[in-house]
Amino acid sequence: MNQYIFHPFVLPFVLGMAFVLTYCLVGLLRIIAQLPKDDRKQFWRSLVTPKTAWANIRDLFGDCLFHVKIWKRNPILGYMHSSIAFGWFMLIAIGHVMLFTLKPLEGVDVQGFERTFTNCYYPIFYKHFATETPVFAFLMDFFLIVIITGIFIAVVKKIYSGMVGVKRVTKFGFADNMIRFALWTIFPFRLVAEKTNIMAFWWLYSIDLMIFMCLLPFTRYMHIPTEALFILLRHAGLKAREPRKGFALAQIYSCPSCGLCIDACPMSVNDKMSDNTSAYFMKKLRNKDSEEAQRIAETCLMCGKCVMVCPVSIESCDIKFSQRAATPYNINSDHSYLDVISTEAQRSGEISVNNPHVLYFAGCMTQLTPKIMRAMKQIMEAAGEDYEFIDKDGGICCGRPMLLSGKTAEAKAMIEKNTELIKKSGAKKLVLSCPICYKVFKEEYHLEGIEIQHHTQYIDELIKSGKLQVDKGDVNYVYHDPCELGRAFGVYDEPREVIESVGNLRKAKSEKELSICCGGSLGSFNLTQQERDEITENSVNDLMFNHPDEIVTACPLCLKTFARKSPVQVQDIAEIVCEKLKK
Amino acid sequence: MKENILIIGGGAAGMEAATQLQKLGQTPIIIEKSNALGGHVAQWDRLFPAFHPAKDVVEQMLANVKGVDVRMNTEVADIQRNENGFKAVLSDNTTIDAKAVVLATGFDLFNAERKQEYGYGIYNNVITSLELEKFFRTGKDERINNPKKIGFVHCVGARDVKVCNTYCSKVCCTTALKQACEMKEVFPDAEVYTFYMDLRMFGPGYEDLYLRTQKDFDVKCVRGRVCEVSEDMDGRLVIKAEDTLFGKPLKMTLDLLVLMCSMEKNKSIDAIQQKLGVANNSDGFMQIKDTYLGMNDTAKDGVFVAGTCTAPKSLPDTIAEARSVAVEVFNYINNR
Repeated sequence: MNQYIFHPFVLPFVLGMAFVLTYCLVGLLRIIAQLPKDDRKQFWRSLVTPKTAWANIRDLFGDCLFHVKIWKRNPILGYMHSSIAFGWFMLIAIGHVMLFTLKPLEGVDVQGFERTFTNCYYPIFYKHFATETPVFAFLMDFFLIVIITGIFIAVVKKIYSGMVGVKRVTKFGFADNMIRFALWTIFPFRLVAEKTNIMAFWWLYSIDLMIFMCLLPFTRYMHIPTEALFILLRHAGLKAREPRKGFALAQIYSCPSCGLCIDACPMSVNDKMSDNTSAYFMKKLRNKDSEEAQRIAETCLMCGKCVMVCPVSIESCDIKFSQRAATPYNINSDHSYLDVISTEAQRSGEISVNNPHVLYFAGCMTQLTPKIMRAMKQIMEAAGEDYEFIDKDGGICCGRPMLLSGKTAEAKAMIEKNTELIKKSGAKKLVLSCPICYKVFKEEYHLEGIEIQHHTQYIDELIKSGKLQVDKGDVNYVYHDPCELGRAFGVYDEPREVIESVGNLRKAKSEKELSICCGGSLGSFNLTQQERDEITENSVNDLMFNHPDEIVTACPLCLKTFARKSPVQVQDIAEIVCEKLKK
Repeated sequence: MKENILIIGGGAAGMEAATQLQKLGQTPIIIEKSNALGGHVAQWDRLFPAFHPAKDVVEQMLANVKGVDVRMNTEVADIQRNENGFKAVLSDNTTIDAKAVVLATGFDLFNAERKQEYGYGIYNNVITSLELEKFFRTGKDERINNPKKIGFVHCVGARDVKVCNTYCSKVCCTTALKQACEMKEVFPDAEVYTFYMDLRMFGPGYEDLYLRTQKDFDVKCVRGRVCEVSEDMDGRLVIKAEDTLFGKPLKMTLDLLVLMCSMEKNKSIDAIQQKLGVANNSDGFMQIKDTYLGMNDTAKDGVFVAGTCTAPKSLPDTIAEARSVAVEVFNYINNR
């Protein structure tokens, strides 16, 4: 070993690097080994498919280095992330370029193992050993300063998180706080060491790097290396199947615990409930606290807002479903009635004989809000539609509640029976009033040749085609986007256009993809009524932001939930259209 | 000492409190927002458990309050506390100075439209318990057209977290059985069903009424809640319920469905209540000072409560409370 390019202070760094690389390699192999066989095949294939390969490259740069999504959300937060990530990347990259352009190193030529060994720390500590050309000196100093500005923002953010538009931040343990402190000090130490060449700062710099890398696997910063893998797996189109294996594991380690989901979560109306948010769910899973993870998975409303705001695009709802599916709930369902229902329907002959153009499936929630059914009936009559109510006399559940509790086989039995009944009808279009049903019909049913519409889309179409004539009134409405219609399928414009044709549309404080769950969601198993009421009150306040005369929604469950807490009348979109039908 | 006592509400509680306070030598003044005394009792036909005409009770009470200063069609517009007690401004712009205030503002009937699944206001043949009493009194209701099959639903708006009312409304069980028997009297050929969660027959003679309902009147009591109501082609009502004793779901077609609506606090008094500083309890009724020894007291000095403004109560309970509030007020005035 040449004295000139070695100094013992590089050793802490080298040890830390060796540890973290080994850990990541083992982790990578483990995750790939845990993937189900089909998924693994799909993954390899995606790496060589041009379309996904391009998406991989785009997102690896866009998400991991430049943090485009965070920029879009908040430029200060975006700058903080990309200055540190991209700046650090550039320091490493330029350092390595330097390594190859500057050989032999300051007149000392080392070869073989020594050369390799030197290479791994040289770009990190080069200033102690050599002086670089002015261009490199400028670039290296520039990016170092960029990183330090990012860290400055991070320190300010820690003191005052409101600056970057974040109200609540994740609560951290000892290791997370420690590694954060290490990250904050690495670069200032480096700057001082480089400028003064005081040995103590070179040691501090190296030890800081070691602390950072040794703690990395046990803290949220593990998201830095894992996110790259997660992006590849996500683009391969995989879905989490087990709560703590394979793809799910990659997602768990990709969660940076940034806490954006905490502010977004409808449960964050109070501190106690905010412990149920996805950031903590991922943390509990990661720490193998399966009891708490199970509790959170069962408490979640499954509104999908955390998935929508997640800068890493972690599909936390999917992981929660897989957690539920892994639990053997004592549900002894008896589906023998399914056969009886099919014979009843055949006997009445209602569906098969009439051969209607439009089939209306109210669903059990709409059965409990008969005003919606009555309104739909009047609307279809007024439009002169050839229609039939498929479940007027009590039908079969769409299957979604069973799916929500992870009972796929039971859900499948219902789905098959409904499919048989619907196909037999010969209808061209299926209209649903309940977004909960809509989601399952869109995703799990195979109804080729039959158009599936939610009644907001259907009514919008009827009005636009001129089949339905309505009068515009002067009532000010606010529209609540049901989770299963909005975030799940992006049906945002049709209901708004319908409302504008019968009255004035006022804006809510949080709209469209940021709409707040009503609190009545079937998704949660164990929220108490009081907790749900708090969520509802918060959501109602958000809707009342611009003082509308009435709240309009498009989901019977949201309707019932809001009606309990709203200071103004709550109606379904079908009801307000029905009021304004041209006589 | 003879003092003015402001009694807000001219129902059973207000009338009885006034009667007793007058006997104790005080000057009660009843403020009644409607054009008649008697409150909800006056809207009833007969009373449980012995089918006693409500009219008799109301007439007796009216005779008792003779000589009491009653302000009909009047509400309290504003009320202030001063060193002598209270100064109230009425809706007719007159003012009253009073030493003490008795809130006897009673209840509102639960708005059955809030339980949309029961179809009140949507289907023609769904009526409330109050509307049925009116039918018994007047014999007139277009919706009641010689029904062959009649259902009663208990606990509408009571013991139901879904409408935010977790309390028991106390009197609907017995009222439902009384009304079921009366329907059998009017329509002897009709089949009558009641759908209950529990039958809370807490008073003297109530359990006997329950036995008679089944034995003498052949009313069928089904333990289970009705979950939804729809209308068939002929405009008859199709109800779905669960018979929890058989452990089976059931479906039934009815000609008439009667909803036993719960009691909720009369909210028209909210503004005055707030001015007086009287809080609500978790059920939304007025908060009393103590469950056992302060049921007529509020947290505020000189402000007293009686009757169903503090919780659902039967008529005998209300009258007993009205009498006790008179003694409490009398003692308050005389500093005893």
